[in-house]
Amino acid sequence: MKKNDLYSKEEKLFQDKNKIYSAQSVKQIVYSTDVRDFGQVAKSIPCQDACPAKTNIPGYIRAVFEKRHGRAYELNRSANILPGVLGHICSRPCESACRHGEPDNGVSVGICHLKRSCSDLKSGSHRIIEGLYAPTEKKVAVIGSGPAGLAAAHDLSILGHKVVIFEGLEKPGGMLMYGIPEFRLPRDLLMLEIKNILRLGIQLKTNKAIGVDISLDLLKNEYDAVVVATGCVSPRKLNIAGEDLKNIYNGLDFMKAVNEGQKPLVGDKVIVIGAGFTAVDCARSAIRLGASDVSINIRKTIEYMRIDETEKYEAQFEGIKTVSLIQPSKIIGNGNKVIAVEFQRTRMEKTDTPPYRVSIPIENSQFLVPTDSVIAALGQTPDEAVVSKDLDGLDGVFAAGDFATGSSDVISAIAGGRKSARAIDEYLIGEKRKQTVVRLENHETTDRQRSYDFIGKVEMNTIDMEERLSKATNEVETGYNDDQAHEEAKRCYLCNLEYEIDPLICIYCSACIDVAPKDCIKMIESVPVNSDGTYGIYEETDDWNNVVSIAIDNARCIRCGQCLAVCPMDCISVTKTELIEIDT
Amino acid sequence: MPFNDHYVIIGNGPAGNHAARTLRKKDKDAKITIISDERVPYYYKPKLTNFIADEIAKEDLMVNFLNSYKAKDIRIRLGQEVERIDSESKTLFLQHMEKINYSKLIIASGSRARVLPAMSRYANHLKFVTSYTDVMAVKEEIRKAKDFFIFGGDLVGFKFLRLLNSMGKTVTILIYPNAFWPYNLTDNMLAQITESLSKFKVDVIVKDDISIIDDKNGLYRVKTQKGIEKNVDMVFSFNGLIPNIDFAKGSGVDIDHGILVNEYLKTNVDSIYACGSCAQIYNPSIKSYTTSIGWPNAVVQGEVAAFNLLGDHKIIESVGRKYFDLEGVKIKTIWWEDIDDEV
Repeated sequence: MKKNDLYSKEEKLFQDKNKIYSAQSVKQIVYSTDVRDFGQVAKSIPCQDACPAKTNIPGYIRAVFEKRHGRAYELNRSANILPGVLGHICSRPCESACRHGEPDNGVSVGICHLKRSCSDLKSGSHRIIEGLYAPTEKKVAVIGSGPAGLAAAHDLSILGHKVVIFEGLEKPGGMLMYGIPEFRLPRDLLMLEIKNILRLGIQLKTNKAIGVDISLDLLKNEYDAVVVATGCVSPRKLNIAGEDLKNIYNGLDFMKAVNEGQKPLVGDKVIVIGAGFTAVDCARSAIRLGASDVSINIRKTIEYMRIDETEKYEAQFEGIKTVSLIQPSKIIGNGNKVIAVEFQRTRMEKTDTPPYRVSIPIENSQFLVPTDSVIAALGQTPDEAVVSKDLDGLDGVFAAGDFATGSSDVISAIAGGRKSARAIDEYLIGEKRKQTVVRLENHETTDRQRSYDFIGKVEMNTIDMEERLSKATNEVETGYNDDQAHEEAKRCYLCNLEYEIDPLICIYCSACIDVAPKDCIKMIESVPVNSDGTYGIYEETDDWNNVVSIAIDNARCIRCGQCLAVCPMDCISVTKTELIEIDT
Repeated sequence: MPFNDHYVIIGNGPAGNHAARTLRKKDKDAKITIISDERVPYYYKPKLTNFIADEIAKEDLMVNFLNSYKAKDIRIRLGQEVERIDSESKTLFLQHMEKINYSKLIIASGSRARVLPAMSRYANHLKFVTSYTDVMAVKEEIRKAKDFFIFGGDLVGFKFLRLLNSMGKTVTILIYPNAFWPYNLTDNMLAQITESLSKFKVDVIVKDDISIIDDKNGLYRVKTQKGIEKNVDMVFSFNGLIPNIDFAKGSGVDIDHGILVNEYLKTNVDSIYACGSCAQIYNPSIKSYTTSIGWPNAVVQGEVAAFNLLGDHKIIESVGRKYFDLEGVKIKTIWWEDIDDEV
């Protein structure tokens, strides 16, 4: 498709006009390591800053807009080696930070749905791009093939090291394979993206459990470095009477059984305890196992649930109730079988230290809820019986992902795996071989139109309830089509385009201020510098005598381009900013 | 210059108006502002169905006219939507980018029609009878239409069904046991309601669900999961109400299903109170939170919130009818948890 075909006649006219108004057209590229530029990128591109892997989100959304889905996929993959997987199940910290979701700006961009569309819509003959380094003859053992282990293995392999992954279970993927239900993450996609990692020559040894089939000492002797990425697999317990009765499951074991194709007995009425993704996955899986009355029970209020709005919506859609402000105090059995849970009411209280709002039980407020089964999904901790968390003093042994940080999410685990790979490479080679810089490039146009700001969010296509129940593994979300992805991509403000007024050319006519739809162009008297060297919040003034410059606050700017269009002095420039990795 | 308080009330229903009236009685000097996203003064919501049937005129629907606010020196801002609350600076941000400062705030924003998640994809096809605006949008259409499909079946829904019946319309109703969300009708209650409806000319569907609603040439085809198909002029949803509280998210005020308040109707944030159907009220006697519906409850809660805002310590109690009659079945006006056993 020709690039011009992407635009309507009016859009083309707008672009032509914009080119005329553009301040500079000579392409200049600068690679900056200035702390002020890093600070500016973090402030100006909130989605990327919120992403633990620092994915170039505006960059790939722009590529989706241009219908270059392969390019979009690779932009994703350069930060996160499982773009398709994350496009299905990411916890989406980026969307909470998206400027489109700020008050007055509407709803956050469907960033995760667009990530998925890169994977869904790329060409069947798409080629993976890998920047391979020369072999180093160093050997690294990675323990665990979850997201952190896979990310570490991939990056170490790219850097030329020989990598072997040891996985305790039958299949690779860790929580992705055993913790997340197939109706959210199709296994053929997961295996495809894992295979794309293994194709680098990484050896995968499954059914090799650390502490059982192999020892850390052995690996330490045989390999130049070892990465422990065994995640968090030890479930937190309820620690209440009756917890050992029949038909009481912990969330992880329950999901593992379901994902292995078993059908744990849940009965009609199921009580799920927990407020995170696993709790919702368990509840939705229980519905697919035939339960008719499933509730998720939480200690705090609904707004404190650690899940995104999509998961809340889907749970509600499938008829799952959420009961808030209660906590279990006892499980009642008949013989060895559970028949009810005794709950106690809670109320919210303030604390002076994080998390600032806590739930406290109300005395003498117990009540019984009959049930056929209980699933406790309270999160997990690392299994220290297998590998001690204290790796200090073990030369050449590194920790990655949830094992190092505690239970988090998939994108954080991937970021953690990549970070470990860098540290291991430096340990093995004796120097840093890669560094992150800010790439700055003049950009001729705004790439957007004001009308894009008013496009409503394109909702994800899903299957109906009948189809969901007809086969438990039927994928609920079916992805955007080509046109839907293009339309949703229009909504991104492209915050990676930084707008700047040249104070030496500006005549202070304030025409830009008059057309700005937000309070994004400011008369400032000074720009404070933070202790870390980055720029602080502009100090504004209403007094013309004190104005040192008119400046665009890129943390408020919605990149509508109105200022650029009206500036009579052509003094506003647009710079494309990207975080990239280069060789040192 | 003397400092006068600015009491702001979000919501122009019975709770909001009675709060404003009480505040004015007790504090002659304060500035009092009511903000409402609706464009009409205080009106009597339970009479909306009578208004549809032309049994009453618009004037009869109104409880207050604009001059009655003026007479009490209460500022009314109609058609203005609060987008968020900054409780630190005590500022309300309105959708049209205006900021309003308050010294004390009462949230009495009421409820809106609940759209079942499974029905949200058909939201464009659904009609509601929740507000004056809803009714004005469909009043004329109702008069012209012949065939109706109602799904859900809350109090207003059954009232509306009786109205349509009296107007000689053809009606099909699909009753959802959880239309009184979060209160579920039992099988016995469903049977009782179905029996009671036999005196009307109405097709009753139970234990089924909507599979598809599509729009063809101005007509709607409603197909249920059990294969029943109806072609109708209008489809109405009556599945209870949910508190109207989106604007309070992120303000620091504790929110669950509604705005959480203690027995004095005070939120966890100083200077912010909530009352009426948007509030989820702690009830010390049952050690749990309850939500209420009904005009009398809203009136009393508005008054109690105002008294307590001014320094009093009144504990809220439920008033008026404890139950509504739903085609012979008693439905609580205070729920979320059982108040007593006398059903």
